[in-house]
Formats: sequence, C-alpha cells, structure tokens
Amino acid sequence: MPRPYPIIMSLPPKLQEIVDDFAGMSREELIETLIAYSESLPPLPDRLKAERDRMDPVPECMTPVFLFTEKQSDGGLMFYFDIPPQSPTVRGLASILASGLNGSQPEEILSVPADFFLPMKLQEAISQQRINGFIGVLAHMKQAAVKALENRT
Amino acid sequence: MSYVHPEYLVETEWVAAHLNDPNIRIIESDEDPLLYPIGHIPGAVQVDWFSTLQHPLRRDFLTGEKFEEVASDLGITNETTVVFYGDKSNWFACYALWLFQYYGHQNVRIMNGGRLKWEKENRPLVREVSSYQKTTYRAKDPDQSIRAFRGDVLKQSNARKPLVDVRSPKEYSGELISMPNYPQEGATRGGHIPGAVSIPWAQAVNEADSTFKTPEELRALYEGKGIKPDKEVIAYCRIGERSSLTWFVLKYLLGYPKVKNYDGSWTEWGNLVDAPIEK
Repeated sequence: MPRPYPIIMSLPPKLQEIVDDFAGMSREELIETLIAYSESLPPLPDRLKAERDRMDPVPECMTPVFLFTEKQSDGGLMFYFDIPPQSPTVRGLASILASGLNGSQPEEILSVPADFFLPMKLQEAISQQRINGFIGVLAHMKQAAVKALENRT
Repeated sequence: MSYVHPEYLVETEWVAAHLNDPNIRIIESDEDPLLYPIGHIPGAVQVDWFSTLQHPLRRDFLTGEKFEEVASDLGITNETTVVFYGDKSNWFACYALWLFQYYGHQNVRIMNGGRLKWEKENRPLVREVSSYQKTTYRAKDPDQSIRAFRGDVLKQSNARKPLVDVRSPKEYSGELISMPNYPQEGATRGGHIPGAVSIPWAQAVNEADSTFKTPEELRALYEGKGIKPDKEVIAYCRIGERSSLTWFVLKYLLGYPKVKNYDGSWTEWGNLVDAPIEK
C-alpha cells in the first residue's frame, strides 16, 4: 500500500538549528535557554481567545496545554499555544516546537521523529516525565497536520 | 480541634517575617524545575526532585553521603530549621521534607499553601540565587520507619492492613496508568494494590490556595474511609511524590504514629512480576 505522505528524512531547518544549539550546552545554559524560550512564547492572539474559552475545563493536576493550528495560504501550519506561566518548562518545550515548526508543511511536521530531541540532552536538566510531555505536544501537532492533509483533498 | 503537630506547618506571613533568620533555610522544591530560576522567595535555595534528590544511576533517591554533601552545600547545619515550599500544592516540597526526615533532619516545616499562596498574596519573588557558607552536615542513619519497600507493601496487602492509594480515581480503577493528560507510560499494568482504598491526595488541600484542609475535614476524610491512627498505614501514588503529601498529612497534621510512604509506588508495582493487582 502506498504511504499517504512522502517521508522526509531531515528535520525542518529551523528545528535542526535549535537541536544543534542545545547539543553543545552546559546544564546551566540549557536551563537559561529553556527559560528564554518559555518567556518568548507569544501570548494567544485575541482572535483565538474565544475559542479557548469554549474548550473543556482542565481536569485535576495537569498542566493545561491549549494548542491552536492555523493554515497559511501556502499550506504551511502555524501553531499557537496557551500554557500558564506556572509551568515554564512545558511553555519552554512548546515554544521550541513552535519556533522550530511554525510555517512547516504538514508532511514535514509528520516526518519529525518522536526522538528528534535526544541530541539536545534535555534529560540532564529535566525529568523523563517532562520530556514525555514534549513528545505529547509533538503528537498533538502531528494530529493537526494529519487533519490539515485530510482537508487538502 | 487543631492539627496534632502544628509545629510542622508555617504560614506565608511567618516565612515573610523570617527571611533573614540565619537559623532558618527556605527550600523550594517543585515539579517544574524552571520555576525557581524565574522567581523564588528571597533567600530561598532550590532542590530539584530529579537532578538533586535522585540517585544518578540506580532507581533510588540519593545516598546518605550525597545527602550530606547537598545539605552542606546549601549551608544547612544539623540545627537549622528547614522550611519547604513548592508548586503543585507542595507535592515535591513534601517529598523533600520526607527525604530530610529519612536522613534524620527533624527540624522541618512545610509552608502552608506553597508557591501558589505566596504568589496570590503578591509577596516578593526574586531571581537572585542566594548562596550560604558551606557547612559540615552529618546525616543520621536512615529512618526506615517512614519508608515502605515492595516487600512491606505485599505483607500489608496480604494482611489487609491499611493502604492508601492517593492517585486520581481513573488511575486507581486502572483506566489510566498515569495522571489524566500526562503521558500514559511508566507501568505495564493498571489498577491498584489489593486492599488499598482510594483517597486522592487533592482531597486534603483547598483548591483555591493549596492550603491544607482543617483538622476536622482531614479527620473525617481519612477516618471515613477506614484509615485510622491505630494501625500502620502505607501511602502510595505513581512515583511517591503525591503520596509524600498524604504521608505528611497523616503523620503530622493528624498525628498518626506509624505512616510509611511507598516511593516505588505504581511505577514499581505496576511493573513487578507476580505482584497482585486489583481493578
């Protein structure tokens, strides 16, 4: 059976650049950089706020992560997040994904391997559970990419 | 009615009035390790559950020797009063307190309400990292009376003695393996330890400001489910952090004499070959 989308063997250039940056960092630099990403995560655009308020309330003890996707005229996807300031690590990781993947085509997003972040050595600063959250956010972005592909035809 | 050992709890006002007290060390211990660097109580130091308090190789927390090093580096002496606070209703603050107790540090407190309450009261948070003169800290022999291993838990389960499962209801029922909306990993089986009663940790705290519920409310909550002070109690969750909070509540706020935290918790039990499970 033919695959529904072509396999792209390399990461989108911006994401690759971020991965390479992290690879050479000390633990302190890594934490500072994650904080910088967390703080540079843009606030949710006003036009999406009403949509967020229609979403389900957050169950006990999770970090509420809201993800919104918009398709650009060239077919590339833009991701917007709403994550509270009380969860800077999750904000930082989401911000890395948004910086690395915003504007990418759905095929490129679907081709990002789930372990692309291993060279970033995040495990030296943050626990496996946080890193699993990273994978979770990427999985949500891939679902959005699948939806975008389905709507294309 | 008051808490049985109220001396283990301090309020935010008390902490604010003791920021420069050399006999007190304030420690932030969070689930999210970036919270301390972006702003903490003036003078507070950080211990991170993962990079500071866990053993680098084995699945275990740090050794007594390493604990001495950590405490010495934080300028803590055997006489220092250590006050813990953190995010997520003080889960990891309670875990750190439990670990300090395990290595014999008696003089410990939890700041009621943790980071959330401090922030809500618009109290100061600073980025400047404080450091203190290094000390020579001596750990005591581990206090095994507050830690349960899998063998203790199996005996407790077989004897149908009190076990408290403090995870969310869906983790207890086996529908989920981790907390709702967290990655469902870490255990190959879902369910709970046979005989355990479900009392989610969150029922012990007020949602609005993360403070502990009143002594009356707490007593009614645990005794209502058959968890009484007359027997040894073991609490568990997924990795032993949420159950540290329940351990703290039972041991100090309600004064139960024999309470253990099973820090192996579900990520051990749910993977353990031959371990009995109920759904």
